[in-house]
Amino acid sequence: MNTAASLPSKVPVLIAGGGPVGLSLAALLAHHGIPCLVLEADASWCEGSRAICLSRRSLEILGWVGADGPVTAKGLPWVGGRSYFRGAEVLHFEMPSEPAERFAPMVNIQQYYIEQFAHAAAVRAGGVDVRWSTRVSAVRPQASGVDVDCQSENGRTHRIHADWLVACDGGRSTVREQLGLLLEGMQYEGRYVIVDIEQDTRRPVERLAWFDPPSNPGSTILMHRQPDRVWRVDYQVADHEDPAEAVKPENVLPRVQAHLDMIGETAPWKPLWISIYNAKCLTLPRYRYGRVLFAGDAAHLVPIFGVRGLNSGLDDAGNLAWKLALVQQGHAGDTLLDGYSSERVLAARENIAFGAKSTEFMAPPHHGFALLRAAALRLALVAPGVRSLINPRQTSPVEYVNSPLNQPDQGAFTGGARAGMPAPEARLRTSQGAGHLTALYGSEFVALYFSNNPRLPDHVQRAAEGSAVAALRLVRVSAHGEPDLRTVVDELGQAWQRYDAAEGTLYLIRPDGYVMGRWREAASARMDIDRVLERTLKDLR
Amino acid sequence: MNSAELELTYTALAECVARVGEAKASLLLATLALDLLSRQPDADSALSHILQAERLANT
Repeated sequence: MNTAASLPSKVPVLIAGGGPVGLSLAALLAHHGIPCLVLEADASWCEGSRAICLSRRSLEILGWVGADGPVTAKGLPWVGGRSYFRGAEVLHFEMPSEPAERFAPMVNIQQYYIEQFAHAAAVRAGGVDVRWSTRVSAVRPQASGVDVDCQSENGRTHRIHADWLVACDGGRSTVREQLGLLLEGMQYEGRYVIVDIEQDTRRPVERLAWFDPPSNPGSTILMHRQPDRVWRVDYQVADHEDPAEAVKPENVLPRVQAHLDMIGETAPWKPLWISIYNAKCLTLPRYRYGRVLFAGDAAHLVPIFGVRGLNSGLDDAGNLAWKLALVQQGHAGDTLLDGYSSERVLAARENIAFGAKSTEFMAPPHHGFALLRAAALRLALVAPGVRSLINPRQTSPVEYVNSPLNQPDQGAFTGGARAGMPAPEARLRTSQGAGHLTALYGSEFVALYFSNNPRLPDHVQRAAEGSAVAALRLVRVSAHGEPDLRTVVDELGQAWQRYDAAEGTLYLIRPDGYVMGRWREAASARMDIDRVLERTLKDLR
Repeated sequence: MNSAELELTYTALAECVARVGEAKASLLLATLALDLLSRQPDADSALSHILQAERLANT
């Protein structure tokens, strides 16, 4: 492993923190042609499973750098879950899922695997230098970049000048502290112990929750399966319990044993990792401070319930990488990065709002919520209408409402995805066989042109030849015919339907798979993609 | 009522219970229950809700 030996004195992008967000961002930046240096205080990938639920959207992002394959090969896919009150099932939920989908709605995998696969993707992409056991110790913002001091294992201090510093250094971010920035928001008192155990099981992969189970009266228990015969068990500890005592094996193991006994998991087991957690709803007000940017837990801390932590961090990385690349390469003005901040702060606030709702149910913050939960769980036994209150509100991609990049709709759409929304998925036929529309996203801008006529109008043809402003790829979505390098065939009609397309409809998709603009009749609208990109990217300079 | 409205209602009642405090929570909930029960079509319907709530409270 490389440590601080022979560190460069100048880099285009320095990433503080080599966790899952930092390593993924490094791979994404490299994919866009930007070399970067990653400094990580720890000696290697993390210990303990930590974040274990990757969303479909996160898998798409990892797919942009080819890290999706190893994750899905190792991980356990799942689509739903069950909640129990005492002995009775009170909720069975399923997330949106369809046959032959590209990714399951959720995949469980230990965080250290995610870090390993993101790291491998970064190395494959080239230009990424990861240094372990090297911690950032001082940050001094300058007009044209950032001076960063870091300390290697032997205590030596190195000075590095970076054009851009991205803080991915987690909840206790050194960069945030160095800039004197404070997270805003609130924390909840209720604590959950997190335990990984190794045990064989035949149970299907689902999110399982028990409220007030006979095994642990008064507590709430969550269980998720992970690869390598591992169970994640989370349980709520009583308010009066001392956190330091609560994580001692002599207090943890009997509770786990009682619960395994209750659910009939009788195979021998052993504990692997124990931690403790309380829900936090915190964010920086902005994620850009001059040449310093924040992503992941360094930028925001959201409650564990609904798995919005790492998943929102990966969305930060996916949103930032292409913008930082365009700015660093001189193709866009640096205000594009203010758009990163506004879009992802909006996302964090939405994640916090949903996370707070989930926390109010999973760890009731006061007597009012405790009483209402007791009522809702009982009523759920007989009244299906209230069961939605128990739903864990799993993460989903956030709409970037009012983003400066959003182009107003041209022409009347009655459905589809408007600017600022994630571009919908569709199964279709490509020149490489059966495929998915989202697999086209993640590199350049994509102009999706819905037409059954292989002859493109002149101005659409010009887009097909690329843009002078930023990398652009034109893809024709045909309802029938044969696919080729520039044509996909929407035999099932999913793409035309989900994009509310008519003959001649054009969608401009951002490199992060979000809709930037759409033209109902591009052929007659004389729209000019180059000018749209020029206006939204270059003129910002 | 859709699930978003139900959630809003749930949160509003939880916060309201917390505001009046534990000592007055029973009075608050009894007032609310009587108000809603008085809008039931008939006594049979109201009584079935009362009995169901009693059964669930003893669960």
